[in-house]
Amino acid sequence: MQADGVIGKYAIGGAVGATLYLEPAATLDVDIFVVLPEVPGSKLLSLTPLYDYLKARGCAVQDEHIVIGDWPVQFLPPTNQLEQEAVAESVETTVQGVPTWVMSAEHLVAIALGTGRSKDHIRIVQFIEQDAVDRNKLQAILERHGLSAKWQRFEQKYLEGAHE
Amino acid sequence: MSKQEMRKRLAALSFSEKVKILEKLRDRSLALAGSGLRRKVVGKVGNSREKME
Repeated sequence: MQADGVIGKYAIGGAVGATLYLEPAATLDVDIFVVLPEVPGSKLLSLTPLYDYLKARGCAVQDEHIVIGDWPVQFLPPTNQLEQEAVAESVETTVQGVPTWVMSAEHLVAIALGTGRSKDHIRIVQFIEQDAVDRNKLQAILERHGLSAKWQRFEQKYLEGAHE
Repeated sequence: MSKQEMRKRLAALSFSEKVKILEKLRDRSLALAGSGLRRKVVGKVGNSREKME
């Protein structure tokens, strides 16, 4: 898709992205943050060319997902600077020999903190308990994106005594 | 093997091996959801009532 110019840089986020660093946990879909090529003469970004490309290759649309193989995939254009940075600084890995990009552990934690659902909080605790994040790198990201105060509240609520 | 050791061992697997496990977990979740055995939560969090579907 990148080679065909349908998408720019991309990175796997969400629960599947977190799996690069943690033990696997049940999830039903894959979140892929994707930079879309700009359409000349338009400031609007559209997922239509991406969906058309995949539908032409036999993928079915299922609500907000498009099914690739057996996985419902949600393509998400980055909506803020944190997500843009997470895509830009993603980590290269491979799945069965195929190269792919996954967000860094620190960006996954920062995005989960920003999103703030119960399942995001649980995932953050897993990252911390399993020592899967570089705390200095995380702090720098949180400061850069205005999440330090939220992190302090999260630490007080969920992480006090986590390493006792 | 303790639960902690098991988690570390699973976390240390390659991404390819983890994706295979994710696929099994996904299929199991879908099978459970399709079986009607999963509890459906009704009402608000903190004041929820549960019922069997």
